[in-house]
Amino acid sequence: MSEKTDNEKSTKVSASIFKKRWRKFKTLKRGYYSFIAIVVLFTLSFILPLFIGRDALIVNYNGNYHFPIFKYYSAESFGQNLQGEANYRMLKQQFKEEEKGNWVLMPVYPFGPNENLLSEMDGNPPHPPSAQHWAGTDDRGRDVFARLAYGFNIGLSFSIIVTFFAYFIGVSIGATLGFFGGRVDFFGLRLIEVWSTLPFLYVIIIISSIIQPNFILLVFILMMFGWIGISYYIRGEFYREKARDYVSAAVSMGAKNKTIIFKHVLPNSLTPVISYAPFAIVANIFSLVSLDFLGFGLPPPTPSWGQLMQQGLSNIENWWLIATPLMALFLTLLSITFIGEAIREAFDPKVYSRLR
Amino acid sequence: MKAENILEIKDLKVKFPVTGGLLLRKVAEVKAVDGVSLEMRKGETLGLVGESGCGKSTIGKAVINILKFSSPDVDITGEVWIKTDKGEIDLLKLNRHDMRQHRGIIQMIFQDPYSSLNARLTVGQIIEEPMLYHTDLSKNARLERVSWLLEKVGLQPEQSKRYPHEFSGGQRQRIGIARSLSTNPKIIIADEPVSALDVSIQAQVINLLQELQNEFDLSIMFIAHDLSVVEHISSRIAVMYLGNIVELGPGKDIYHNPIHPYSRALLSAVPVPNPKRKKKDRTILTGDVPTPMNKPSGCAFRTRCPIAKPECADAIPPLELKAENHFAACPYVTADEIRV
Ligand SMILES: Nc1ncnc2c1ncn2[C@@H]1O[C@H](COP(=O)(O)OP(=O)(O)OP(=O)(O)O)[C@@H](O)[C@H]1O
Ligand code: SF4
Ligand SMILES: [Mg+2]
Repeated sequence: MSEKTDNEKSTKVSASIFKKRWRKFKTLKRGYYSFIAIVVLFTLSFILPLFIGRDALIVNYNGNYHFPIFKYYSAESFGQNLQGEANYRMLKQQFKEEEKGNWVLMPVYPFGPNENLLSEMDGNPPHPPSAQHWAGTDDRGRDVFARLAYGFNIGLSFSIIVTFFAYFIGVSIGATLGFFGGRVDFFGLRLIEVWSTLPFLYVIIIISSIIQPNFILLVFILMMFGWIGISYYIRGEFYREKARDYVSAAVSMGAKNKTIIFKHVLPNSLTPVISYAPFAIVANIFSLVSLDFLGFGLPPPTPSWGQLMQQGLSNIENWWLIATPLMALFLTLLSITFIGEAIREAFDPKVYSRLR
Repeated sequence: MKAENILEIKDLKVKFPVTGGLLLRKVAEVKAVDGVSLEMRKGETLGLVGESGCGKSTIGKAVINILKFSSPDVDITGEVWIKTDKGEIDLLKLNRHDMRQHRGIIQMIFQDPYSSLNARLTVGQIIEEPMLYHTDLSKNARLERVSWLLEKVGLQPEQSKRYPHEFSGGQRQRIGIARSLSTNPKIIIADEPVSALDVSIQAQVINLLQELQNEFDLSIMFIAHDLSVVEHISSRIAVMYLGNIVELGPGKDIYHNPIHPYSRALLSAVPVPNPKRKKKDRTILTGDVPTPMNKPSGCAFRTRCPIAKPECADAIPPLELKAENHFAACPYVTADEIRV
């Protein structure tokens, strides 16, 4: 490259490597749209009761407004002849018939994930898909679509949390080994090797047979086994980056280890972490689904894809119990894989290796 | 230290252990630098030449005391004295903390302009960084100095907001030079600053270094693997072979009248337009370069030396005075046999 063309080039807007990669990522349509879809759906899934759920958004009763999605109301408080919490679908019906000006605003899809619908439905569960229950009900008469939607939030949150903590541990350990090298590295690696021979599935089965696993315990177990892969990556990156001249330059200026690690080596070592993350998230979603399927996952009645599939397998003639969660899993994993692919391409070290 | 010197290296030895086996025991060692003594005069450019792998960068890194960082097990002996305002200091005796206070006066320009700049930082941040550690300038004063330095090295102050990947190799090397000057150093170790650059740009960068040397009153150790690069800018040149200095003398003399058989071979490989030079006088280097791990005993060059004798295996020949200010480490040659 000649100096002249470079000076011409420098009239363009300057961009950090991250900005360049983000721009490149946006050009990879499949991954970019999957990214938008997943981010939007995941964000919406945190306010899911506004769209899918049994609790009314607003009840106007005798001129007063009530917001049942935020607060518990007994059936009596709306003059409903029932025990326990009000049933807002029935209330809506009731108000309509009474024509007293009372009204109920329900979520678009007015069924909750853990709600037993047997009293409102004919026949025995599981019920096949219908206009009302898009994916039918499961063997306890719960709406499958609502369970799928809530399960999406739980599965993805779970796997993002696991990935985050596993990465935190993996990056810290890998960075320590790679940065300090020598004996720290040698003995650290041996310990990791020993740790990684622990059969993770057995550990979970053993623990679950002693105590009922909950969200936090499962996050903890998966995290304790999930950091190993990334620690190898980071170790390698630190090893390589540490030997580069910009690090020598930093040392020769008198930078301290802390500065060298956080200002110089770490930012240049995160490429594999970021480009590997979507695949780790996929793997963790899959782990949770498998554990739920095997019955070692989150405790009932947590809405879970794996548990639905397990039901589907034991009621194979009720195809929707297996087809819908499989479809949901397939689409989710596919989109996240598309994202991962696009990130990997945008971060392609071949293009940038000279620049790093 | 002698009055005219700013840097004195005394009997520097650098050995990298080669470890292996289950418990990482030392199984061999690489004698990257094997007893080098070298003086640098105040304000001079000292050339250091030799083939790839002979230990040039290792000397440079030992002098700025950064070897222990990347290779904690390295074995360094000898002394590296520098003259500072506060007196003479042996850098090798300092621990990393004490060394930090003296880093401002001795800086290095690195070999590879691509890997020597952190790609995540802007050029301004890169040049500013040494000032964070060695000055108490305010942010504005630092930025002002960054602009000033950028101009000094022939770039535009506006370019400080750009990232290294937007620059060519030559421009990057200018950025590296600006960074090395930001703390007002007295000594610069320039480790093959131009060997990664296009020939057309090499001269520009060398000229820039020379201008800056005058302006900043620098003493420069200019490392190169090619004599022709250092010949016209160095007052003195040291020629290295496998961790030893085999010849030391004024630049012109080394180039036009090399004494050591290795320097002669090195020079005969360079096409020099010299009518006196006859074809039959050309010595071609034969044989592979031995690695520093299995360095030959005695004179390390004996496996390739055209005039090697059995006695050459006995001891490392010391540098002997062969002509005025001109030393060579071979007892079997004299300055009179001119053979360029
Ligand atoms: N950290 C290290 N660990 C082990 N061996 C090393 C290390 N650094 C350098 N060496 C070895 O020391 C010898 C001298 O290396 P050095 O980098 O000083 O050579 P050089 O003269 O600068 O070569 P070049 O022209 O290729 O830069 C080489 O054989 C090299 O393999
Ligand atoms: S000492 Fe012997 S081997 Fe070494 S250069 Fe002289 S003649 Fe050659
Ligand atoms: Mg080198």
